[in-house]
Amino acid sequence: METTTIGGGEGATGMAAHMEVEAFRRLFPLPFYDRHLSKSVRPDARTLDSARETTISLGPVASADGSALVKIGETTMLAAIKLEVMTPSTESSDEGSIAVEFYMPPICSPMVRPGRPAEVAPVISQQLSDVIMSSRMVNLKELCLISGKASWIAYLDVYCLNADGSLFDAALLSAVAAFTHLQIPLVSVNEEGRVFTVSGEQQEKTKLELVNKEKRKLSIGNTPFPVTCVIHKEHIVVDPTAEEEAIMETSITIVLDTLGNLVSIYKPGGVGLASTATIKECISRTKRRMQDLKIILEEAVSVMEVD
Amino acid sequence: MAASTYSPSQGAERRQRQQQMRRLSIQSDWDRSDGRSFIQCRPAFLRTGAANAASGSAYAEFGTTKVIVSVFGPRESKKAMMYSDIGRLNCNVTFTTFATSLRGQGSDNKEYSAMLHKALEGAVILETFPKTTVDVFALVLESGGSDLPVIISCASLALADAGIMMYDLVSSVSVSCIGKNILIDPTNEEEVCQDGSLVLACMPARNEVTQLTLTGEWSLPKINEAMELCMDACLKLAGIMRSCLKESANLSN
Repeated sequence: METTTIGGGEGATGMAAHMEVEAFRRLFPLPFYDRHLSKSVRPDARTLDSARETTISLGPVASADGSALVKIGETTMLAAIKLEVMTPSTESSDEGSIAVEFYMPPICSPMVRPGRPAEVAPVISQQLSDVIMSSRMVNLKELCLISGKASWIAYLDVYCLNADGSLFDAALLSAVAAFTHLQIPLVSVNEEGRVFTVSGEQQEKTKLELVNKEKRKLSIGNTPFPVTCVIHKEHIVVDPTAEEEAIMETSITIVLDTLGNLVSIYKPGGVGLASTATIKECISRTKRRMQDLKIILEEAVSVMEVD
Repeated sequence: MAASTYSPSQGAERRQRQQQMRRLSIQSDWDRSDGRSFIQCRPAFLRTGAANAASGSAYAEFGTTKVIVSVFGPRESKKAMMYSDIGRLNCNVTFTTFATSLRGQGSDNKEYSAMLHKALEGAVILETFPKTTVDVFALVLESGGSDLPVIISCASLALADAGIMMYDLVSSVSVSCIGKNILIDPTNEEEVCQDGSLVLACMPARNEVTQLTLTGEWSLPKINEAMELCMDACLKLAGIMRSCLKESANLSN
């Protein structure tokens, strides 16, 4: 077993001299992290500004119209979109709509118990909805079927399968990936004026005219990409794990779109007041990470197209 | 104002398929939609360690049925529980909103939660974690038929992964009775037009049944035939589950 050889931190003077690393980590998390950060390294061997390995796979849910599974380190998100037909409201008769919901089922974390939903779930739900609508990633006019009569409502449901920090980042990335995977089915209108989907086999048989001629994808405009940083004293730590989020002073989530426009900044309270310089630094980290995420998403799409 | 929504119905297609199935049920020999024979199960894909936040977890994929189960504990019982010499097993089954072809509510499935509890209760050695609770949480990612048996098998694998003491792994298989035929490991379409169903959960190494659920129309010789079929399938499934556990144990070494 490894033992720490350096002397203890503030609350652990002396005691830590001959303590096992794991015990020291559990008992004195702050000195444990302080020592790592002062050497510019993290317990999982990352540097302060590097993110965990990120993977995207498209289409894991066959029963949905569009879906994606995203893993950032151990944080796992499953997003799926189901389309339903609705009557558009009179104010926006030529637009469809999007309903976003974020779920944290009890499997994702020991903190969540059945019947008692996690407090952060509705917060992330609202943030996702705000970012997706305000970034204009999806042109709602493309979700229109017949102006004033029928349009699509896209139910986007994001499930957290394993929670290990940076939940919003993984959730938004999976939502974006699910929208790029979304295929709008063929529809037709019957005599009673109801809209129904037409499957491949029925296509030749049906005498009714198709509203849209072929299965199509949405044209995704400016894609928003998120990065969460935690601020601890003078350090900025990118893509925190659940442990890092719990210990450190405050966090900032920045969302930029592909053109480099700022979509959202979110700093949920916390002790440390971030200065403007810190915020600027976080934005530049986000820009760097965005390039990587763009490539990962493009690769996932090209893999899907080969299949 | 709540917009009134409705799903574009695939009713015509579904009705056609159902009629076809009903026609088939009268005949004694036909092909299943996925090309299996009547006594052939779907290929089972099992993995442990799907979610690292839990003490143990497992992922199961049988055809289009996809389930993930996490086990937490043994940990402190949260509710104001009476003192107990033995541990408590707490089970919860949830479906995602996109699990079924019609969008659901994503709420708890109380019936399946109770059934899962009953199926596992007999296998877990509750005396090994007195005064504490082990939580078994299942999430059905996609429902493709035979959901409950897949949940039960996956949950016992997750319990083993969490190191909870059990007398034996619990494996579970269901059969549908359609007309003259008995179909093992039915899909959703087959379950819709079944005359009766039998779900069996057992501990194959001890040759003990932990749960048996019989619904619908059955004749006595058919029940015998179906049970023997299930017991044999459970034994084989347990073999696959065991090799999955061995594989993950070798990996961690």
